[in-house]
Amino acid sequence: MLAMCFFPVSSGREVMENSASLQESSLAPSNGTLGNSSLSPSIVTDHMCASALPHVQHSHNPAFISQSSRDLASLPPLDASFSQSTASLIHTQGNKDVSWSLDRLQMFLDLPENTPAPNQLVESSTGVLASEDHNKKTNWQEWADDLINVVDPDWSKILDNTNVLNPRVEVPKPSGDISKQQPQFHQNQLVPHGEFSSHAYPSSTAPPTKPRMRWTPELHEAFLEAVNQLGGSERATPKGILKLMNVEGLTIYHVKSHLQKYRTARYMPETSEGTSEKRITSIEEMKSIDLKTSIGITEALRLQVEVQKQLHEQLEIQRNLQLRIEEQGRYLQMMFEKQKKVEDEKGGVPSSASDDLLAPLPGSKHPPCNNGKSDSEALEQDHSRTGIGPGNAGTNEDKSSSGVSTKQKMLETESTVHDESGFSVSKRARTEK
Amino acid sequence: MAAEPTKYGKAKAEFVYMLNNEINKFNVFFMEQEEDFIICHKELQQRIKTVMDKWSSNGSRTEYTDEMAEIRNDIVDFHGEMVLLENYSNINFTGLAKILKKYDKRTGGLLRLPFIQKVLKQPFFTIDLVSKLVKECGNIIDEVLFPIEEDKEETKEQKGAIMVATEPVKGIFRNTVVALLTMEEIRRVSSTKDHFSLPPLNLPHSHLIHSFQLNSPIPIL
Repeated sequence: MLAMCFFPVSSGREVMENSASLQESSLAPSNGTLGNSSLSPSIVTDHMCASALPHVQHSHNPAFISQSSRDLASLPPLDASFSQSTASLIHTQGNKDVSWSLDRLQMFLDLPENTPAPNQLVESSTGVLASEDHNKKTNWQEWADDLINVVDPDWSKILDNTNVLNPRVEVPKPSGDISKQQPQFHQNQLVPHGEFSSHAYPSSTAPPTKPRMRWTPELHEAFLEAVNQLGGSERATPKGILKLMNVEGLTIYHVKSHLQKYRTARYMPETSEGTSEKRITSIEEMKSIDLKTSIGITEALRLQVEVQKQLHEQLEIQRNLQLRIEEQGRYLQMMFEKQKKVEDEKGGVPSSASDDLLAPLPGSKHPPCNNGKSDSEALEQDHSRTGIGPGNAGTNEDKSSSGVSTKQKMLETESTVHDESGFSVSKRARTEK
Repeated sequence: MAAEPTKYGKAKAEFVYMLNNEINKFNVFFMEQEEDFIICHKELQQRIKTVMDKWSSNGSRTEYTDEMAEIRNDIVDFHGEMVLLENYSNINFTGLAKILKKYDKRTGGLLRLPFIQKVLKQPFFTIDLVSKLVKECGNIIDEVLFPIEEDKEETKEQKGAIMVATEPVKGIFRNTVVALLTMEEIRRVSSTKDHFSLPPLNLPHSHLIHSFQLNSPIPIL
């Protein structure tokens, strides 16, 4: 019997293919199981292919992007997949007439206001960007206004066609300043991205076409109960299920798609002989015939489980490490900003000292003190250096050094490190591995 | 950065836009898979229960073993798929982090830190549920599959050695091995190491894993 799990996986893929219509997403690869080599390039290239790199019309923009892609190409790639991706990046750059201008319009109209922008992420990063630089915000707005005025009249048709809820877009007047690129209409890009919410229920502003929601086991149990009450998966109707479940925010679309998945999962095993043959061959395929005959199915399974468990474990460790690293990074950033505030308040503090302090930390260009050390160790060492820094600089020694030493102290408590920076931290890192 | 704020602002916004698109794709895929897994998990539980009930009430031994054999296969694959989804999540996160780091480096910007904080909260990176399912599944496997004790390091090596000599491995198993190898690869010491880099990876049974023959994922017809 074909692993029942396979079928849901591939039906999931079908749904993906239907929805991400124009944009082929190799991010949703066959069977949902991933060869890693196919994944990393697609992160960069796949999207590039379909959309965003602008055609060379505006002098300034392509310069930026082509520069960056050239630079990317010249950098030694971190691994093979990245070199692939940079190659295709350059390749696709000049080739595509894309809807970037429309996208940008969309994007810029979203940005100046934090209204229910469909994409939660855009909204929040808008917030981030806005807080970073207010100047840019107003510039964008002006630019966006300009863009609206010069936009091709066909856009009004296109905009009407979309599901985008963006009432701010007026019917644009034609005028010929910016070159009229007829934008290709990529439906999936204009349809609001954030059709999900962080909890189980979708945002109400999302259009009814494909509200994305996140199912939980509890919700599924409720679903099952409703289905059973209604006489089984064949007889139950989405409407009936929806009513029985009585869950706020759940729409019939959710129930429909879930029911479909459920039906396929259940009835795959029970379909005709054709399927059972398929099942057998795929099992063999998976285990590979020689494997089976040479070491037996049980052993093959064991080995497989072993490897899988190992991957799981490593992933867990890696993830935790990543979380901690980001946490520390964020913490440092906070401390920076606090310190900067303190120094600014003191008024007229020469920024050179604080620049020295600030420069190394966000991690962008750091002097090579890290070679041969583990990361957390390096992190700690860095703190102790910067701890000494402002003290030496002699600016507002009391405040700044106490500020820094508090920071250091708090960091130390956080990572339970004693005087000599990295030892216990690195010890811990090693045992984790 | 001060030279052309508008240009820079536009390019940055565009970049963010592209990233958001990618993240959206991750989220969509991830949540679809997650939903499938929830359903599948429940079904497997149901199947096991059915088989157990049937056997305890009156079933034939052969039927039981047959059906259990099927279930075993399915569970192991299910486990594998979930782990691969975890891997998907992690790889994409790592990729985003690297992209952001590179962006900051190229443009002197400070996009990375705040943006990555947002990413941390995205559905595709909040894998608690999948992780839990994996563990549960692992436990079931240990009970259902391997009541017989046999685990020795040497036997594992032997099995691996046999595998080396045979046909290249396929399917989920293959992908899992590839994932481990890739992780190892990504975490080799790099020239751009900084605070945010992961330390190198030391895989147990590393040589065993390296010894598998792996097909190219692209079928050559």
